[in-house]
Amino acid sequence: MITFFIRTCLFKLVTLVIISIVSFLIIHLAPGEPSQIDPLNPRFQKEDLERYRKTFNLDKPLHIQYFLFYKKFFSGKLRSFKDNQPVFPKVWERFMNSLPLFIVGTILTWGLAFPLGVSSSLKQDSLIDKGTTLFSYLLISMPSFFLAYLLIIGTVYFLQTPVLGIQTFGQEDASFLFKINDRIWHLVLPSLLGATAGIAVLSRYVRAQMLEVINQDFTQTAHSKGLSQERVYYIHVLRNAALPFVTMFGLILPSLIGGSVIIESIFAWPGMGRLAFEAILTRDYPIILSLNFISAVLVVLGTFISDILLVAVDPRIRL
Amino acid sequence: MIVKRILIITPLVIIILLLQSYFWVPKFDEQFMGSGKRLTQYIQGSIGDAQILNPILHADSSSAAITNKIFDGLIDRDRDLTYRGRLASSWKITAEAFFIPYTKVLSPEKIAEKIQNVKNNLNLSWLDNIISVKVIPPEKIKDPRNSSKQNNWSGVHYPKRIKLTLKKVDQNLFNKIKNTFSEKLIQDDYSLNESQSNTKRLKLTEQNPIITFDLRKGVKFHDGHEFDAKDVLFTYKSIMDNKNLSPRKSDFEPIKNIQIVNKNKIIIRYKRLYSPAFGTWTIGILPEHLLNKEYLTKESKTRKIDQKNFNLRISKFNRHPIGTGPFKFKEWRSDELIKLEKNKNYWEGPPNYSEFIYRIIPDALTQEMAFYTGTIDSYGAGVHQVNRLKKDKRFQVFSGLSFGYTYIGYNMRREPFNDPRVRKALGMAINTKQIHEFILNNQAENITGPFIKQGPHYNKSVRPITYDPKQAIKLLNQAGWEKKNGILVKNGKKFSFKLLTNHGNDIRKSIATVVQDSWKKLGIAVTFDTVEWAVFIKKYINQLNFDAVILGWSLGLEPDLFQIWHSSQTNKGQLNFVGYKNKIADDLIVKIRQEYNLKKQITYAHKLHRIIATDQPYTFLYNSKWTALLDRKIAILQKAKNGKSNAKKITATKTGSYSFDFNKWIKFSTSPSFESKF
Repeated sequence: MITFFIRTCLFKLVTLVIISIVSFLIIHLAPGEPSQIDPLNPRFQKEDLERYRKTFNLDKPLHIQYFLFYKKFFSGKLRSFKDNQPVFPKVWERFMNSLPLFIVGTILTWGLAFPLGVSSSLKQDSLIDKGTTLFSYLLISMPSFFLAYLLIIGTVYFLQTPVLGIQTFGQEDASFLFKINDRIWHLVLPSLLGATAGIAVLSRYVRAQMLEVINQDFTQTAHSKGLSQERVYYIHVLRNAALPFVTMFGLILPSLIGGSVIIESIFAWPGMGRLAFEAILTRDYPIILSLNFISAVLVVLGTFISDILLVAVDPRIRL
Repeated sequence: MIVKRILIITPLVIIILLLQSYFWVPKFDEQFMGSGKRLTQYIQGSIGDAQILNPILHADSSSAAITNKIFDGLIDRDRDLTYRGRLASSWKITAEAFFIPYTKVLSPEKIAEKIQNVKNNLNLSWLDNIISVKVIPPEKIKDPRNSSKQNNWSGVHYPKRIKLTLKKVDQNLFNKIKNTFSEKLIQDDYSLNESQSNTKRLKLTEQNPIITFDLRKGVKFHDGHEFDAKDVLFTYKSIMDNKNLSPRKSDFEPIKNIQIVNKNKIIIRYKRLYSPAFGTWTIGILPEHLLNKEYLTKESKTRKIDQKNFNLRISKFNRHPIGTGPFKFKEWRSDELIKLEKNKNYWEGPPNYSEFIYRIIPDALTQEMAFYTGTIDSYGAGVHQVNRLKKDKRFQVFSGLSFGYTYIGYNMRREPFNDPRVRKALGMAINTKQIHEFILNNQAENITGPFIKQGPHYNKSVRPITYDPKQAIKLLNQAGWEKKNGILVKNGKKFSFKLLTNHGNDIRKSIATVVQDSWKKLGIAVTFDTVEWAVFIKKYINQLNFDAVILGWSLGLEPDLFQIWHSSQTNKGQLNFVGYKNKIADDLIVKIRQEYNLKKQITYAHKLHRIIATDQPYTFLYNSKWTALLDRKIAILQKAKNGKSNAKKITATKTGSYSFDFNKWIKFSTSPSFESKF
């Protein structure tokens, strides 16, 4: 057990170092420079551009830039090129904005995907099954930004309610109940959209898993020993079918960062995805690389957690 | 079965909980009923967030929009683009001129006397301009670039010089002196018996414009501290400080020194004639008491940042600015909003709105949705968006010309673009009207030259080149190109080239298609390609490696064209990348930037405009129009002296700024009918 821990940790550390090097190289090899360095701005003279490059350490060789960057990163002194704010508080603030979206989205995904998947597997080839299949494929194949626009335009024209941002303006003096519901309303569309693809895909998986387990011998046994239908399906089958999903739980961690770029941009939601997107547009290297590194850490951590979870729930697996 | 119930109830509860919130959100018609606060807020939608709220450091339009509300400059532009005083109540532009006298015939003292005599006897207006003539003793002027080396003194030794004090700047002063006097008075030979390094930097003649600003009394910063001349000096010093990386540094480089006369009077001396320098005083003035060395040292200590690396750019001030402007800073939530509140003590009277909110919505369509539900009051509406909402009675529409133009630039270093007839023919083959109508929805106008169309420097008598493919062929024939098998050939070489533009601009792409087609009809083989912006600039424009490009310039109000059109700016990485070289144009460009008299400057500019229009280094395609939408409930509220107030419709200024009277705007609960009293 302990040797397993040490070995995995070492492996993951090496992976992280390699990721940090590769991502650093990719960002610096990509064309373009931080938006502060704009050679076409008539206000800038050559010396101005050089001054910027020097302050951003962009005039040094790549390997030295790499060490300087990660030295600052780990000492917490990293600052964004764009507004000179320290990177970590900035990321944290955005993280707290994205968190409600992520939580409600996840609840919606898992809360709706399971009932849908289970019900369509129990009534295989029925109208409900075919209906949910069609619906799932529709959701999977429709680009989320398109669906977002449809929903926004629909709500605005028919319900005449604001849907963008975290809350409505000009209501700062309203009562608490009012405010909290205003916030919830603003969460509805973006979190629903964030969940659509998840619901569609996950319910398909649930259905497939259920069907696989239903056809196994022990299900037959359970049926023949006279258990009620419900008991067989919801206790014996579902429990076994749910095993792979436990591991998926660990893997949703990284989507905390990457999952919502489009939705956050469309809904003017000041979250992590937006932060990353804007940083890429302005070539804000400290932000891009930090987010990249953090999400790499999350992926590594996620796989680790799902390994542990699997061991915890499935007694057949030993380390 | 418990599991089954959970599976059914959970999604139901979640959905009900989420959907019930709908009843708590203000609908469009109820926007103003909730707390009424919305009527006193002006919310502007923006695609991008501001970067740094400091007038001397920002380089993006969002930051500019905010800092313009928080900070005042010494001056700004009035409705008709003339300058008016803000923090400066009045100003005067005078000058001092120096020259090294030619001493082989007359002594410096005699020369000074001679000029004085002629001035007294001859009745010439340029001599009237001279207030006094003096001989000044030899001087040593230190070279500021080498100030760090203490032992190794470097600088310029000047002999006795003659100093003329002038009422007004006169860029031809020394020429006039040379032409009026029969004797040689001004030294024009560098080989004085001086060391080599000295003569190189020695200026034989020199004219220093001097601006004297009288500052407004009793103006206070948002924290209550009084504004005075020290703040102006501090703003200048901060811009020039290399540590701060100010993108405005080159604007203020021509300043020689700044002298504080008293709290409310400041004198600015310039190194040389450079008239655009006056306009740079529209820059927001920083509060010295909040950003001086002492204060920054304290901040670096409390924030535990190495003092050596600490500068204005890192200071917390940039996220919590304090100025003298009509609005005070209140809150900034990154990528969400920036909130300002009204400055009740504004020297020109407080604005009507109590809050100004800059809201970031990074997508044009969702901005429209927000506008439609009344959660933002204005946004940068696209042409098609304005067309969609134009007829809606709830909104009012504004439109005007933007500052800038789009053009096709030819690399004049290459054959055949070095021939003006070819460039003209290429321009004549393009039906610009068609481009305006079909690609730009008629939201564009012709432009014939390098100045902004709204300004006085634009020469309206220059006619645009007419669309005439037949004449174009004739011109090409004159230039030696003959059509063979449908393709133009000269000396066995086919007329073919590549047209380039940046990737992602659909309008430019459509223009390229139209242009390519028109040129093909003449018998020119044109290929077209788009390249990602950064690569386009780095590999093609900066390396001067292109045949023809479609690009645009957005211009300022100053008529200074030096960087884009002067022949000295044609090297790699400079802005005259088409390689335009014309001696007469060069002379005019320099004259324009040295002229302080607007009338004369306009005369030069009109000449220059005609020369560039004749040379056709660019094919000027169009000057685009902007459009803006506003809630009809917003109007100007004027308070009359008898206490009554009345509503006035918002109108755009001559130059097309509709928000000029922003401080007097307010939102009414229903659309006001004008001329009626409230």
